[in-house]
Amino acid sequence: MIYQLAHNIISPLGFSSEANYLAVKSGKTNICLHENEFGLPEPFMGSVIDNEILDNEFSKINHSNTRYTKFEKMAILSVFYALQNTSIKTNDSSVQFVLSTTKGNVHLLENLNGFESNRIHLWKSAKIIAEFFKNENEPIIISNACISGAAAQITALRTLQSNNIQTVIVVGADMLSKFIVSGFQSFKALAPELCKPYDKNRVGLNLGEAAATIIYGKTNDSLPANSIELVSGAMANDANHISGPSRTGAGLYLAIKKAMQTIQPEQIAFVNAHGTATAYNDDMESLALTSAGLQNRPINSLKAYFGHTLGAAGVLESIISSLAIIDNTALKTNNLQERGTVAPINSLMQNQACTEDYFMKVLSGFGGSNAALLFKKTR
Amino acid sequence: MEELILELKKEIIEVLNLEEITPEDIDTDAPLFGEGLGLDSIDALELMMLMQKNYGIKVDNSEKGKEIFKSIRVMAEFISNNRTK
Amino acid sequence: MKLGIESYCRITNNSVIVNDNSIEIPREQSWLTDIYHAAKISYPKFFKMDNLAKCGFLGSELVLQSIDIDKTTPKENIAVVCCNRSSSLDDDTAYQKTIQNNDDYFPSPAVFVYTLANIVTGEISIRNKTMGESAFYVMEQFNPQKFCSFAESAFLDSTIDACICGWVEFFDGNCDVLFTYITRNPKNNKELNIENLHTLYNL
Repeated sequence: MIYQLAHNIISPLGFSSEANYLAVKSGKTNICLHENEFGLPEPFMGSVIDNEILDNEFSKINHSNTRYTKFEKMAILSVFYALQNTSIKTNDSSVQFVLSTTKGNVHLLENLNGFESNRIHLWKSAKIIAEFFKNENEPIIISNACISGAAAQITALRTLQSNNIQTVIVVGADMLSKFIVSGFQSFKALAPELCKPYDKNRVGLNLGEAAATIIYGKTNDSLPANSIELVSGAMANDANHISGPSRTGAGLYLAIKKAMQTIQPEQIAFVNAHGTATAYNDDMESLALTSAGLQNRPINSLKAYFGHTLGAAGVLESIISSLAIIDNTALKTNNLQERGTVAPINSLMQNQACTEDYFMKVLSGFGGSNAALLFKKTR
Repeated sequence: MEELILELKKEIIEVLNLEEITPEDIDTDAPLFGEGLGLDSIDALELMMLMQKNYGIKVDNSEKGKEIFKSIRVMAEFISNNRTK
Repeated sequence: MKLGIESYCRITNNSVIVNDNSIEIPREQSWLTDIYHAAKISYPKFFKMDNLAKCGFLGSELVLQSIDIDKTTPKENIAVVCCNRSSSLDDDTAYQKTIQNNDDYFPSPAVFVYTLANIVTGEISIRNKTMGESAFYVMEQFNPQKFCSFAESAFLDSTIDACICGWVEFFDGNCDVLFTYITRNPKNNKELNIENLHTLYNL
């Protein structure tokens, strides 16, 4: 069995998984209007980590002279906190790092800010992160657009199943910059207000910054109560368009079908879906979830709490959902006022109790990629 | 107007990388999107940017875009009525 | 896991080799466009792609020329896996130029979309209608052992029968491409292993 040993979330809502979960459960968000941020000519709604708070926390754990970028600080801090209260020796060769990110240090293209030019490369940044923890295995780096965080967990699952690796540290992170925000603006993909996943009046997404870590281990013994097992994970491609979601949901349906092989829809407590709040993504998901027979299960999106956190999203949202199922709670979709997807789905407008043991996490993204993860809570 | 139409065709071919298509191949009154040129949603966004960059016209949403990009002629008429550069 | 390389293609700055045959490329325009024409491909979308996607597209086209995937394998059972060193940095640099100065600030959506490295796996999937998993990995340099493990990872999905798997690097005007078509039951004797990959990469 592959299961979660520990985890952490660094976001504007807090620097621990628990703080983030409690904030979400009580309906909080730090998504707000940012004007003149990153030198952008136009404002945007987003969830941005305060540099001062981050630097302050980071200075408590960094005792070297090495300089780190915001992206690296977020990732390192998240892994560091996740490791606390575990006995994992990260310098051991049985520990493997997996980094999930879409753009890493791409902001350095605008201004290197004293860093060497190769710091823009993802492999360099990943190496710097692993080196902080004195880990010598070459990190595995996944850059699979918005599904990166799910793809990284699938890699963890497979690495542990087929290898002499005992522990996989999955860290997902992305920071916002002029580069990323301007690109989404050019796509007319951003909402001018708090995003409304699955809502009739949704007009686009919000972007968010976060780093999130899940440490996976394996065991043949039975797990203690309230452990979270990663049962299966699968990916599929739409083969339809490089940026537009499929009009049928065929790719996502295929990924869900593969991940759900061993169980029935009734066994699923909730589906934590992607729910970016763009018109096409949410419609596509509603079709795929319906094809998979999941349209009546509780469904939520966490995007109106954190924004779309890109490479962190799959990891972050898996953690929040893990804490929710342990808390016997299916979380609501924040800011959903009137349901309105092409296929009607049971997107939750209030937190509600749940009793089933499984939950599913799904993600879709540019490049036509789709992923589904199935998790199980131990009784 | 004919001059602007030709200019637009050349610009569209260049900015959308329509290799192997010449201005003569583009029907001034045919729908820009749909079968003919094989344009997609990214091309529509790129045309919105072209409107702003070359003519100082801000097209903010895709609904408006759909109207303006009906055909080269519609686009040219809209530009000549609204251009700021 | 025993897997085989059924077909391969190697593209560098000045040579194209497909399954042990060196392909002559008449030089007229840019290198990648010349390869496109020499391979007699007709796919206008090629000209909209960034250099990385062009490299991946050409590598996959050449690798599949000798294979009739429409007949051999259901499209849901074919994965597309790519890896490289520089992610999408070539296109990232191009996009940065469109936003660098606020006086000349026109962020291009058509350039931005290729700033995600995995778009290349999307382009290959769209072209071939393959719906198996698609994944993009980054590593410091071509490492045959990692390449093998990324390909094997795709086959750990039991529905996958074949994988279009490529190293696809384009940065600073240099292209470095090795594409393979990997199956569970190869029709020749080229096993997917470190030694064979090392040989193909150094052709």
